Amino acid sequence: MDKNIAVKVDDLTVAYNYKPVLWDIDLEIPEGVLMAIVGPNGAGKSTLIKAILGILKPIAGSVSIYGKPYKKQLQLVAYVPQKGSVDWDFPTTALDVVMMGTYGSLGWIKRPRQKDKKAALEALEKVGMLAFKGRQISQLSGGQQQRIFLARALVQNASIYFMDEPFQGVDATTEITIINILKELRKAGKTVIVVHHDLQTVPEYFDWVTFLNVKKIATGPVKDIFNDDNLTKTYGINYKVSIQE
Amino acid sequence: MNNAQIEIQIIASLVSIACAIPGTFLVLRKMAMISDAISHSILPGIVIGFFLTQDLNSPILILFAAFTGIITVVLVEYIQKTGLVKEDTAIGLVFPALFSIGVILIAKNANDVHLDVDAVLLGELAFAPFDRLLILGTDVGPKALWIIGVILFITITLLIAFFKELKVSTFDAGLAASLGFSPAIIHYGLMSVASVTTVGAFDAVGAILVVALMIAPAATAYLLTTDLKKMLALAIGFGVLSAISGYWFAHWLDASIAGSITTMLGLIFLFVYLFAPSKGVIAVLYREKQQRAEVSLLTFLLHLKNHTELEERHVNHLREHINWQRVRAKAVLELALKNNMIVVDKNIVSLTKKGDTFTSKAIDYIITNRDAQIEDMKDDFFLFRG
Ligand SMILES: Nc1ncnc2c1ncn2[C@@H]1O[C@H](COP(=O)(O)OP(=O)(O)O)[C@@H](O)[C@H]1O
Ligand SMILES: [Mg+2]
Repeated sequence: MDKNIAVKVDDLTVAYNYKPVLWDIDLEIPEGVLMAIVGPNGAGKSTLIKAILGILKPIAGSVSIYGKPYKKQLQLVAYVPQKGSVDWDFPTTALDVVMMGTYGSLGWIKRPRQKDKKAALEALEKVGMLAFKGRQISQLSGGQQQRIFLARALVQNASIYFMDEPFQGVDATTEITIINILKELRKAGKTVIVVHHDLQTVPEYFDWVTFLNVKKIATGPVKDIFNDDNLTKTYGINYKVSIQE
Repeated sequence: MNNAQIEIQIIASLVSIACAIPGTFLVLRKMAMISDAISHSILPGIVIGFFLTQDLNSPILILFAAFTGIITVVLVEYIQKTGLVKEDTAIGLVFPALFSIGVILIAKNANDVHLDVDAVLLGELAFAPFDRLLILGTDVGPKALWIIGVILFITITLLIAFFKELKVSTFDAGLAASLGFSPAIIHYGLMSVASVTTVGAFDAVGAILVVALMIAPAATAYLLTTDLKKMLALAIGFGVLSAISGYWFAHWLDASIAGSITTMLGLIFLFVYLFAPSKGVIAVLYREKQQRAEVSLLTFLLHLKNHTELEERHVNHLREHINWQRVRAKAVLELALKNNMIVVDKNIVSLTKKGDTFTSKAIDYIITNRDAQIEDMKDDFFLFRG
């Protein structure tokens, strides 16, 4: 077993109502990369993450996290869903949402304790949201909500982070805060997988990239495969990005 | 108050607590309709259970009927998963079908069953104290009290044990799944509790009141709080309040208790819906009015910032130029003055330093949507809040 592969996906096919939205995906994500998943809307990016995390049951294929099925590696993985997937009017506060990140290590029935609260407060501080800990979550701006989600993932203290569009609807300052934290995670040897929309910033933010559109188009180091050829294959139109150095 | 009156009120209160707890989560999961479906489609389960046991209060009957409730949920989800119809349509397909099977079963066997549809839908709380539970010949209280008491005890135990699981899977099912808390298990657990509660309560209060007691107190509480625990507490409080005030209302009018409790639930909801401090209709209207005034204020300040010429800043000119009705211009002028954003000197309006900074910040915010700098403004101005 190759120790350096964090996530391995084999022949994965996922369907909604028998309509496949991911076809025969093979993917190896090396440990310690900061990887972007790019592809047009409806390409199956969110579906891929959900299938890896066992939230959706694939119709074929398998997934392993450090060589073992996801169910055995729950503690190693943190997940930030797409912001739109939850109801922000839910009666809860920023701190409480971040505390949810500790639930995984607690398991069923056990309640969070003082040290879990402390961890949540530290995570809030890290994303610059400590001042908002008591704020009801609908009273937060889009960028602040994303930071809360990031804090919740940080609390999980995982080895692998999956983030679905963490830059969606955030302002420039928040984007910088978030990407700096992600880069820090990579520096600490963690593996970070991010669904990303802004192609311009891919070379600046990420060192690894996967092109996805129902099928896997390409995966590898940004410097080798982030080119017009793969972009065109993924987005279907003649794509040109001016890569800024 | 005599004994029977006290017992009726205790039963009604326990039923409302037992309903408010699952009801809170149903409301938060936007599944209010499903409780309606369960309450109707358990009828065939009750009828079949009654044929088997000949006892409306038998625990076997309750389990049987609760099982029908779960079948309802499964059927609704199955139809929904085909992707052909939406959830409410699926619910609309399932429960009339099951309910009518129940009605047909009753009608076909009407001779040997003393069970009628009215009793199932409306129940009769007034008779509950007369059906006593005897243990070794000793009267230990009304049967209904024991049934709902046991159900409530189980519900509260489950709530305390699985509060965090219920919370996380209701708020973010994806996260719950990724943390290893199967949303499906929690979902069916909640549906089972809702079904058992519905069945346990229907004999005393009827199916309609069960639905009302699940949904109305939780919906009322939702308007008042931003904390899940407080929402649960408020929902329980509103449920009990409706139960007891409804009882006395019925007593006073000599009307149906279930009907009066439903009326109380409606009245309390209406009151809170109108007057809730931040989510109520009046608060929302007030906020919208305030927001409109603030937009006008900003337009006005921006005009001042862009024009140094005196004639552009004359009070009369402002009225014409910005083209507001006098009243509104006056309101805006006053709002600006009150916040020390302008000074008026011989009918010439000028921005103060505070007004100038405010305008720059506000415009910057509107253009860039950068949030951090305007935190301090949020407290004073609705315009910059969510
Ligand atoms: N719950 C669902 N039921 C049915 N179809 C879905 C569901 N979720 C997503 N899809 C479909 O699957 C495809 C992939 O969706 P998704 O993974 O969300 O794409 P992306 O995240 O790349 O935008 C889309 O065509 C979408 O319409
Ligand atoms: Mg997506």
